[in-house]
Amino acid sequence: MADKKIPEVDIIVDEKAGVIKEVEQPKKLRSKKGHERRVNGTIYTVLTIMSIVWLVPFVFLVLQSFRSYKLEKGGMVDYLIPKTFSLDNYAFLFEGSNFFSWCGKAMLLAAAVALAATLLTHFLGRSLDRADASRGKTTLTLGAAMAVCYAALAIAAGAVHGQALGQRLVPALLGLVLFTAAGVIFARIYLKQDDKLLRSLPGYVAEDKHEGAKKVATLAAELWALALLCQCIVAPMQASQYIRWYGNTLTIALFTAVIQTVIVLSVSYALSRLRFRGRKLIMNTVLVLGLFPGFLTMITLYFLLKQMGLTQAGAVPGLILIYCASSGMGYYISKGFFDTIPKSLDESARIDGATRFQVFLKIIMPLAKPIVIYTVLMAFMAPWGDYVFASYVAFGHQEGYNVAVGLYNWVNTNDFQNYFTRFCAGGVLVAVPITALFMALQKYYVEGVTGGAVKG
Amino acid sequence: MVDLDYLKLSKPQKMLHDLGQFFARLPGRIGGGLKGLALAVGRCLKGLGLSIADLFTTFKNGDWKTRLSYLVMGSGSMARGQWGRGLLFFLFQTVFNLYMVNFGIGYLSKLNTLGVVETYKEGRKTVYGDNSFLILLYGVLTLFFVAAFIYTWRVNIKQNKISQQLLASGHKLKSTKDDLASLADSQFHKTLLALPTLGVFVFTILPIFFMILVAFTNFDYNHQPPAKLFTWVGLENFRTLLSSGTASYGDTFRQVLFWTLVWAFFATFLNYFLGMLVAIMINKKGIRLKKVWRTILVMTIAIPQFVSLLYVSKMFAADGLINTYLMKWHWISQPIPFWTDPGWARFTIILINIWIGIPYLMLIATGILMNIPADLYESARIDGANAMQMYGKITLPYMLFVTGPYLLTSFTGNINNFNVIFLLSQGKPMGLAGNAGYTDLLITWLYRMTVTDTNYKIAAVIGIMVFVVLAVINLVVYNLIPSVKNEEDFQ
Amino acid sequence: MASLKLEHVKKVYDKNVVAVHDFNLEIKDKEFIVFVGPSGCGKSTTLRMIAGLEDISEGTLTIGNRVVNDVEPKDRDIAMVFQNYALYPHITVYENMAFSLRLRKMDNEEVHRRVCEAAEILGITQYLARKPKALSGGQRQRVAIGRAIVREPQVFLMDEPLSNLDAKLRNQMRAEIILLRKRIDTTFIYVTHDQTEAMTLGDRIVIMKDGYIQQVGTPQEVFETPKNLFVAGFIGSPQMNFLKAKLVKNSDRYAAELYGIRVELDEKRSAKLRAKNAQPGQVILGVRPEHAQLRFDGAANAIEGTLRVNEMMGSELHLHVDLNDDTRVILRIPTLDLTEEQRAGLTYGSKLWFTFPEKVTHLFDPETEESLLF
Repeated sequence: MADKKIPEVDIIVDEKAGVIKEVEQPKKLRSKKGHERRVNGTIYTVLTIMSIVWLVPFVFLVLQSFRSYKLEKGGMVDYLIPKTFSLDNYAFLFEGSNFFSWCGKAMLLAAAVALAATLLTHFLGRSLDRADASRGKTTLTLGAAMAVCYAALAIAAGAVHGQALGQRLVPALLGLVLFTAAGVIFARIYLKQDDKLLRSLPGYVAEDKHEGAKKVATLAAELWALALLCQCIVAPMQASQYIRWYGNTLTIALFTAVIQTVIVLSVSYALSRLRFRGRKLIMNTVLVLGLFPGFLTMITLYFLLKQMGLTQAGAVPGLILIYCASSGMGYYISKGFFDTIPKSLDESARIDGATRFQVFLKIIMPLAKPIVIYTVLMAFMAPWGDYVFASYVAFGHQEGYNVAVGLYNWVNTNDFQNYFTRFCAGGVLVAVPITALFMALQKYYVEGVTGGAVKG
Repeated sequence: MVDLDYLKLSKPQKMLHDLGQFFARLPGRIGGGLKGLALAVGRCLKGLGLSIADLFTTFKNGDWKTRLSYLVMGSGSMARGQWGRGLLFFLFQTVFNLYMVNFGIGYLSKLNTLGVVETYKEGRKTVYGDNSFLILLYGVLTLFFVAAFIYTWRVNIKQNKISQQLLASGHKLKSTKDDLASLADSQFHKTLLALPTLGVFVFTILPIFFMILVAFTNFDYNHQPPAKLFTWVGLENFRTLLSSGTASYGDTFRQVLFWTLVWAFFATFLNYFLGMLVAIMINKKGIRLKKVWRTILVMTIAIPQFVSLLYVSKMFAADGLINTYLMKWHWISQPIPFWTDPGWARFTIILINIWIGIPYLMLIATGILMNIPADLYESARIDGANAMQMYGKITLPYMLFVTGPYLLTSFTGNINNFNVIFLLSQGKPMGLAGNAGYTDLLITWLYRMTVTDTNYKIAAVIGIMVFVVLAVINLVVYNLIPSVKNEEDFQ
Repeated sequence: MASLKLEHVKKVYDKNVVAVHDFNLEIKDKEFIVFVGPSGCGKSTTLRMIAGLEDISEGTLTIGNRVVNDVEPKDRDIAMVFQNYALYPHITVYENMAFSLRLRKMDNEEVHRRVCEAAEILGITQYLARKPKALSGGQRQRVAIGRAIVREPQVFLMDEPLSNLDAKLRNQMRAEIILLRKRIDTTFIYVTHDQTEAMTLGDRIVIMKDGYIQQVGTPQEVFETPKNLFVAGFIGSPQMNFLKAKLVKNSDRYAAELYGIRVELDEKRSAKLRAKNAQPGQVILGVRPEHAQLRFDGAANAIEGTLRVNEMMGSELHLHVDLNDDTRVILRIPTLDLTEEQRAGLTYGSKLWFTFPEKVTHLFDPETEESLLF
């Protein structure tokens, strides 16, 4: 009897089987092994079948995206594998756009800038180190240097895109302020810290005793490159419908990711670590509000946005506003994470002389990296799949669609017999980067969901 | 019953006893709850009374600075040198006054009728009358504003009182600089929560309040502002939704509610157990390529649902791949009505949802299985338990205990699971009264009521009903599972 | 360096749970004070109130000459060592120690000097570049102490700093704390549940129970003249034996009768009893295990008992003995006092007798549990 039971046990507990085996008689051991093999075989079969079921739709999706809507049929057909593989559907997505040449130019520019900036700041950093400047001075000087260089770059970027100086001025100024500020803040936080993120950046200079300034230098260089990329994004690219939708979604997702993360972390930190009057009230209110279905308030939200001019043509900022405004209610998982960080760290820091703000910034944030990444990931991914609000806010204004709305309309209009394969192609282009991102950060996702589920 | 006697009982006897106890205690609990409620109301009233009494005593004992603050908010603070606070109070009062005079009073006064002046045409020109929508929305906003004002006014007076006491006892008041510094320290929560609270207030609380009120009006396609007025109708809409009859949606509502609950049940528990099973299989010792299996399954989480679900819904369509291939191979002669037959549609949705849902549970269950202390199993094995017994006595109870709260949120989430239904079937096949389909959940029905039918009054009522259903479920479960309640246990 | 004064300090949680009642204590400058008591006695709460981590519900707390009730912890000029060390896991040991100095915007050179000096004192110089994760428990403990001493605070608070260490390391660190105290002469407040730590470290000990101070005194005082039954039982290991006895008065001398023997009390004790005007009657008589003397021959005026457990501790034996009314007492007998045969005879169930000198007895009122000799 025992020989039948024990292998089954292994399904649940792993390592213990071995211990029992050693005690068993050799004869029983053999039958045990046979049983074990049968069980494992069954499991492998089940898992293989599941894997096939799980992957098949995606394989089909990719296959059908290669069926030309011109040569064959763009709708439903009774065969799976296209007669000829063509990129017509993909080409359609980019039709009427100078996407590739635009990207080429932008990349080239960014690369050149990154190189130049790295060299420049490298020397700047060295001279700062030599002068043994204080940290405040270092950051300030770097900030100023970045600002000057940024202005030059903005003009250069405008020149590449063949625009008048005047047209570039507003976004250039905006970018200048934003990125200088970002650079200075980043520099301040990370100046004295040993951080993998910095080391992983392409322009990173090898460590030595002047590490601090060089890190900032490198960081500044990366930020310039980023600034330039953004510059390119605001530069008018002739976009096809699909690219516009994609761009809309990307913009929404990026902004939402940043703003929502800040909000969620603020709220969850406050509710987890600080004790104040009304804390329970806030948590209970959120609990009750969460029981109302989200779409109940759709018309009111639409009206509010309309009053602010953020519908239709203004759908992108409107959606960002909607996604972020109530995101404080989604504090649960990150609060659970904060709850696990020992309270004595806060207390110790406070006795050491830190204000609560400093505790948040210097102690808790560096420790909360997994949950920060999880929050960013979730906030970034959500807008890609939102149809309801996106379609309602855009209200038929095609320029304001996100990919979900655009592609949904392709499939669910009368013309869908022609657009099905184009939907497949569009879907593939959305799914590939998102899936790649998700897979790369899967570890943090798993940490987040299991933590959230376990702590409720 | 004495504890020891209870322990002697067999399992069914225990359950019976527990059930009996539950019902025996129920009246007491309800009574206790009501008593608690009454006490809370009493406390509130008492607090209010004390507060008003305090207003008088503060005025009586106050110096001129305090007394002036009753009229001009913040003047006391400013007179005592706390410029920052004082100015804020003063500004708030000014804004409030301006708002009320120019805006608020007008809307507030029309709130009882929601407007009486009709829009009419004078030749080719349209002369706009009252806009019920705006009146209701801004009326509600004004009410909130007034409440906020009263609260702030009260805080303003309280602060005067405290300042006066502090000064009297020889303390120094906080300067504006101290106030600002405290926002990064002892008052840091205010800094952190100010913006999120404002966002939630404007984009969640205000709209919800507004929609709750809409449920008591006749706001629908026949009464669309600004062309038409709408007005209060009392409980009319609730009657329409809940009662049976030709013009009522009672039958539809019951059908949709039933399907919503069935769906939520299957979507939650089927996924839960299947996901756990898959997790157990993948984590079994000796199974290779654990990471590969996991990664393949997780694909459905990674890929945006509008891509995967839209595609799969087309796969199951009458002219979709599945039907065409089955027909090609002559397994069937007619397409299977995956989306056109109510039964099939419901079945297909639950099936496809497994595809989406298992990976989540697999991930969660994996995390928890690893956390179960190994010595529990060792001890059980030494006691002679077999695999099934260990599963039943250790794994399952542990999982259920730990994931109790998750099951609740998951059930709630599934009742409001819009995406799966909407992307797969859009609620079709249609055929119920009130423009509802057989696979409609309350939430998709609500969506259609809002967007397609512009029947806002009924949409609002449906929303309230969803809230009621969820509130009941949550309350019951909260009282049954202990692990939901204990927030501080994890700290 | 500063003196501390706690006047009528009280801590109330959630409006009805009182953690600390009316705590009054004056701590002198450069004194080493130990709060000791069982878990839940309010000792940590008191410490946390001094640190500013808990609000003081009532009463005043003065550090130096300043009332600090409403002062944020960062402005109280105190340093604290936590039970779980509370090292910042994401920065190096060096930065951990420099953290508080950097927050005070101290000059870089000065930071470096102080950190190196503290590291030198604690012998952790070679670990400065490591993260806390890479350190052993004892090393982490040193870093935690180092982080506190770089501050050169007025008051040094320690909340059960040794309880996460294993027994051997604990003894070692205890000795080091004594040495440390010699080097950095400042006010220490140390919380522990371990009476050995309290006895060895403290200039004065504050023994607490259920939120009340039971006794304040030097280690010697609390050991020799415990104020009540609780203190008597808490200080000393194994704990004091309590025997039911009858107080009798013979003109102006008192005696205690128990288990058929009569213990004449010396003049000092009698005087105290007279001063309290103690009435003859039931009392509890306390004898520390180490004061018992073993008799084998049923000597006169010795208490008879039956041996239940014989624990061999090396240099001494712990004998668990049941008296004739099943009261269990423990006797601590130096091994060298016994012959080979005598030891062999100490088996389960064997009869033995013991006596104790009258000058080491303690007497307690069974009702109030207060000492009659205090």
